[in-house]
Amino acid sequence: MKGGPSQEDIRRHNLGTLLRFVHLRGPASRATLAESLGLNRSTIMALTADLTAAGLVREELPRKPGRRAGRPSLVVRPESTRVYVLAFDVGVDRLVVARVGLGGEIMDRREGTRDRDAEPGELVGALAAAARSLVRKAGPAAVCVGAAAAFPGIVRRADDTIMFGPNLDMGEMSLGDTLSRRLGLGLTVSICNDADLGALAEHERGAGVGCDNLIYLHGDVGVGGGIIVGGRLLGGEQGFGGEIGHMVVNPGGRLCSCGSKGCLEAEVGERTLLAHAEREEGAHPDGRAAVRAVVDAADRGDIVAREALHRVGTWLGLGVANLVNIFNPGLVVFGGTLRDVYLGSAAQVRSMLATGALAAPREKVRLRTAELGDDSTLVGAAEFAFAEVLADPVQVLARLRAPENTPVS
Amino acid sequence: MARWEPLGMSVTPVLDLRGIEKSYGSVKVLHDVCFTAYPGEVTALVGDNGAGKTTLVKCIGGIHPHDRGEYRFEGRPARVGNPRDAAALGIEIVHQDLALCENLDIVQNLFLGRERRRGLTLDEAAMEALAAETLSGLSVRTMGSVRQRISNLSGGQRQTVAIARAVLWDSRLVVLDEPAAALGVAQTQQVLELVRRLADRGLAVVLISHNMNDVFAVSDRIAALYLGRMVAQVRTADVTHRQVVELITSGTGGGLGLRR
Ligand SMILES: Nc1ncnc2c1ncn2[C@@H]1O[C@H](COP(=O)(O)OP(=O)(O)O)[C@@H](O)[C@H]1O
Ligand SMILES: [Mg+2]
Ligand SMILES: [Zn+2]
Repeated sequence: MKGGPSQEDIRRHNLGTLLRFVHLRGPASRATLAESLGLNRSTIMALTADLTAAGLVREELPRKPGRRAGRPSLVVRPESTRVYVLAFDVGVDRLVVARVGLGGEIMDRREGTRDRDAEPGELVGALAAAARSLVRKAGPAAVCVGAAAAFPGIVRRADDTIMFGPNLDMGEMSLGDTLSRRLGLGLTVSICNDADLGALAEHERGAGVGCDNLIYLHGDVGVGGGIIVGGRLLGGEQGFGGEIGHMVVNPGGRLCSCGSKGCLEAEVGERTLLAHAEREEGAHPDGRAAVRAVVDAADRGDIVAREALHRVGTWLGLGVANLVNIFNPGLVVFGGTLRDVYLGSAAQVRSMLATGALAAPREKVRLRTAELGDDSTLVGAAEFAFAEVLADPVQVLARLRAPENTPVS
Repeated sequence: MARWEPLGMSVTPVLDLRGIEKSYGSVKVLHDVCFTAYPGEVTALVGDNGAGKTTLVKCIGGIHPHDRGEYRFEGRPARVGNPRDAAALGIEIVHQDLALCENLDIVQNLFLGRERRRGLTLDEAAMEALAAETLSGLSVRTMGSVRQRISNLSGGQRQTVAIARAVLWDSRLVVLDEPAAALGVAQTQQVLELVRRLADRGLAVVLISHNMNDVFAVSDRIAALYLGRMVAQVRTADVTHRQVVELITSGTGGGLGLRR
């Protein structure tokens, strides 16, 4: 039997709400917080005191010189140097590990490349080494409150098992468990689909702020999708939802890595674009740089590159038209290499949308590129990692700061 | 006669030009041109070489004022006889022949030619802070010091400074005449994203470009000039690449444009 929420529940909820506000929107005065959160000033004061005592926020004078006269009021600022998460962006060719402070600022980062035939063990070793160096540099006073990784594959929500990742094979290895063990921070490293995290990031910090129905399309060899409906990520029954890359747009078309034919990924993915552009496989540059080189060549008048983008843009537009009809999104965001592909083929994409989508949902949809650039998936991993501390700030901090949790190094 | 798409909007256009005529001496360049630009939207102005795009921009900016026709700004009739009139209305123009002062630095260029408003005087430090704030507000990470000379900047960075002027001075309308003409693809993409962000902040933006991908990537409306006449102003979401190319090359296409 359960009654209404207890005082304690309400307090926890309010602490989380306040912390989330300054985390996402930046430093704010008590007056702003009271107004924005609909709480009275004495409640804000008490909550701020609790969060300050837990080492999550600090009150201080605003840093920028105010343009208004008079004494500036104190602002509540997240403790970005002392409270942080580790965010991993595992791309097919590119690895990024970052220390992201509370408040969302990327404090420090390590970037590396990955060979397409590298062993899973090498990958985990590189990620763990980068993470450990970031933790060391953060210093003993800082506390890591979460860790998450963006991965280009389908991930089961219940246990973070990678079910399918044709472009980056992890074999039998459980990435999350292995990374967690190697870090030894007493934290679980969550594994999430990269495009889902990109959607999350653009929704909270990028092109999609204020838009609760958006679709994020991510290009990195394959094509991933993240769908936000009513402000929430659409996961489906097991977390596999939103695999836009495997929506069939061209029945009987090009063979896809999933075994099907004519999937969006098979028609617009990196390999197909490079094949249309008559770029040899394995040639230099590869990956993102190769896609960008095709867009660049097209811009300078190369007719083969232009034709390649034209073909790819047509299928991309058809895919977007289907999505617009089904989800009526307010926004479609193109990230990863699809940013470049979209900008290089927008005339085709939008022509297909104009002729292929219903007029009603087409009218208000905005097409945008990822505002966070190449960091969408990384930032999404950070946001995912912050979720726990934002849900129950004081408890989570108390647990992590308890002496028995000090990592043995 | 031009055929007009129903706009279906009750929003007042920022710029509303009707029946604009312009001649250079005895050469008539613009004939009965209507053109509107809405807040929060990018309006692409397209047309072949010599169609009159730059001339229309010079009319908008008061550099070569129009001979006849109605010029309305934010719903009211306006008199724009010189560039100062345009600046006073809140119009910022990034010309095809980009006019930044090479030997001045970024801060000086941002504040150039602007009378300090409402008695607000800014010292160097405040100007520098404001310049840095404006550029970072545009998510420009690649600019470096705001004390660099313009002559050290790349083409894309120069466009960015020009766009930052518009933001800094709270412009209502920004017109960019072929900003991508001399840029590489990476810089063009950044400028396009910046242009889109300006509109998303509520400004009216007019973008002139020859590149159909650029036009379709960022515009909400497309206005097509053909031999000095406005042959169509349509919503980008409703037209195809082919239709726009036909409008540009023949003044008519897919049921749009001039009646033959
Ligand atoms: N200052 C000028 N004096 C005389 N004719 C001009 C002048 N500027 C432009 N023109 C002529 O006006 C026409 C339109 O030019 P312009 O507005 O530059 O076209 P666009 O920008 O569309 O290429 C052209 O025929 C051009 O030769
Ligand atoms: Mg011109
Ligand atoms: Zn597939």
